[in-house]
Amino acid sequence: MITVHGISKRFGAFEALRDIDLEVRDGEFLALLGPSGSGKTTLLRIIAGLEFPDVGRLDFHGQDVTGLKVADRKVGFVFQHYALFKHMTVAENVGFGLSVRRRKERPAKTKIRARAEELLELVQLGGLGGRYPAQLSGGQRQRVALARALAVEPQLLLLDEPFGALDAKVRKELRRWLRQLHGQMGLTSIFVTHDQEEALELADRVVVMDHGVIEQVGTPEQIYMAPGSRFVSRFVGETNSLPVEITGGRVHFFDRRIDVDAGGTADGPARLDFRPHDVAVCAERPGCLPMLVTGIYRRGGAWRVEGEVTGVERIVEIDIGADEAPPAVGARLGLHIAHARLFAEPPGAERDDEATNRAAR
Amino acid sequence: MASIAPGRQLHVPEPAAPDRSVGAKSAIPGFGLTMGLTIAWLSLIVLIPLSTVFIRSAGMGWFDFVAAGFSPRAIAAYKVSFGTAFAAALVNAVFGLVTAWVLVRYRFPGRRIVNALVDLPFALPTAVAGIALTAIYAGNGWVGQFLEPLGIKVAYTPVGIAVALIFIGLPFIVRSVEPVLEDMNVEIEEAALSLGARPWQIFVRIILPAIMPALLTGFALAFARGVGEYGSVIFIAGNMPFKSEIAPLLIITQLEQYDYAAATAIATVMLVASFAMLLLINVIQAWNRKRVNG
Repeated sequence: MITVHGISKRFGAFEALRDIDLEVRDGEFLALLGPSGSGKTTLLRIIAGLEFPDVGRLDFHGQDVTGLKVADRKVGFVFQHYALFKHMTVAENVGFGLSVRRRKERPAKTKIRARAEELLELVQLGGLGGRYPAQLSGGQRQRVALARALAVEPQLLLLDEPFGALDAKVRKELRRWLRQLHGQMGLTSIFVTHDQEEALELADRVVVMDHGVIEQVGTPEQIYMAPGSRFVSRFVGETNSLPVEITGGRVHFFDRRIDVDAGGTADGPARLDFRPHDVAVCAERPGCLPMLVTGIYRRGGAWRVEGEVTGVERIVEIDIGADEAPPAVGARLGLHIAHARLFAEPPGAERDDEATNRAAR
Repeated sequence: MASIAPGRQLHVPEPAAPDRSVGAKSAIPGFGLTMGLTIAWLSLIVLIPLSTVFIRSAGMGWFDFVAAGFSPRAIAAYKVSFGTAFAAALVNAVFGLVTAWVLVRYRFPGRRIVNALVDLPFALPTAVAGIALTAIYAGNGWVGQFLEPLGIKVAYTPVGIAVALIFIGLPFIVRSVEPVLEDMNVEIEEAALSLGARPWQIFVRIILPAIMPALLTGFALAFARGVGEYGSVIFIAGNMPFKSEIAPLLIITQLEQYDYAAATAIATVMLVASFAMLLLINVIQAWNRKRVNG
């Protein structure tokens, strides 16, 4: 178990992390998700020992490792741009961690070579040990980097945007393969990503970060279905957002009442967020949201309908089942919002909207 | 291309095999012009002047050429020239690397001044450097007075020549290595750190191999410059035949005695030797580059 206690870190005037508390369970595959500048990479590097916190403590299995150097932490680190040693062969790269050990602990050259070959086999690069990194594709290089990190038998595998530099197809394959490998090896793994899809697909739990603080920790299901904050709701998955007013437990969009349970949200201005697929089309009647259709296109197994809702600046997007007849452009639809989240709007947070959008991109 | 009527032969040009021959079509325009200019310029500036050396020495006959170009005095001068240049380049490789390292890796007050100091040997008239070094390293000079009692004579010996050549060659190493050090990704070192490498292991196994090509280039430049250096050396060398006489000086001496044939013979030997060494270093570089860049 890895425990982060109240860690803060500044780089000059920039506050990278603010009072972070986090627990990572053994054998867990954890994602640190957030926009750039959210502090996710800094947190990963602090856990690795490549960066040191200004305040706070870091424990591995109850032992304080805050001041311990990266070499003494038994972690494997995989960099976004592979960071392979260009002048060494693939096998030499993989064997590097073993070959720099002190004489007493260093395995014989033939043993290192055999171990490297074994690991290359594991990452499906058997027989390529004699090549140089420049002769490999991006996906292959990242697997070499992974094999190299695994060679020192780390307890903890840390991956900094491991798929960031790869194209979409390779990325998908590598993701699935990494998920499998994680299961096989019984490691604890933490990876950083800004791609919410990647985080939701791979991780056991996702830590969503923004501006140096943790917004929410939870399973992908929890993060997606029950976002704990406005930021998480906007950052993870696709979200439409309406400015609403809550009065006496009822939700009003301008003067129209919306059929949504206000739950425990306090009276006052709020934001109503809903996903494109959480909508059913209904006839124009009270409780439905009127929308003017401005565009429609096929999106996988559904119709994606874009439309304008008076009083909402951004285009509202909804999904309609592929077997239903798509509405025509210019048609008027009524929307029944089946599943929504409400977030009370803190006073003076009007333009917070745009900032969040920018971050989510 | 998809709608070619059947039975009608259209002339479809074969996709040309990638042509790597000289003058092959390149996507980047201007090859013809720039290559032409390069060859014309190199001929004018380098090739034609140097070829006269060969032409002159070709006229003197094999026996005379060997007698002049490989006389015991000439051979001694080559040894001094190439030996001191090699030693100086080697010393520079070490300290130039350290200097470049400090300039790239650390931010300290006066860094700009140090940076400017490095280039000074480029700018200073070589004679000034020679006279200054002689004054300092002579038996009664600032540094020489401390070395003399230890039995170390610098001025008027090959050691003095090496000192002058170290001075002249320093910028070559620093300026060749600097950009490569600057480009070195910190991640590479962090990766090595995370794998348990200690600092000296990182330097020897990661950094040094990465900057080796640049270091070798700097070494070659410093060495080549040292072999040809004249101005700064003659003041500090003492110029004793067989001991501290450099080959360029021997050429001047022959010229002053109107023995043009002997001068060109020595020049030819130096030219061929220098060219062979630079070529060798280039071959090593090419081999290294091919290995690393696939």
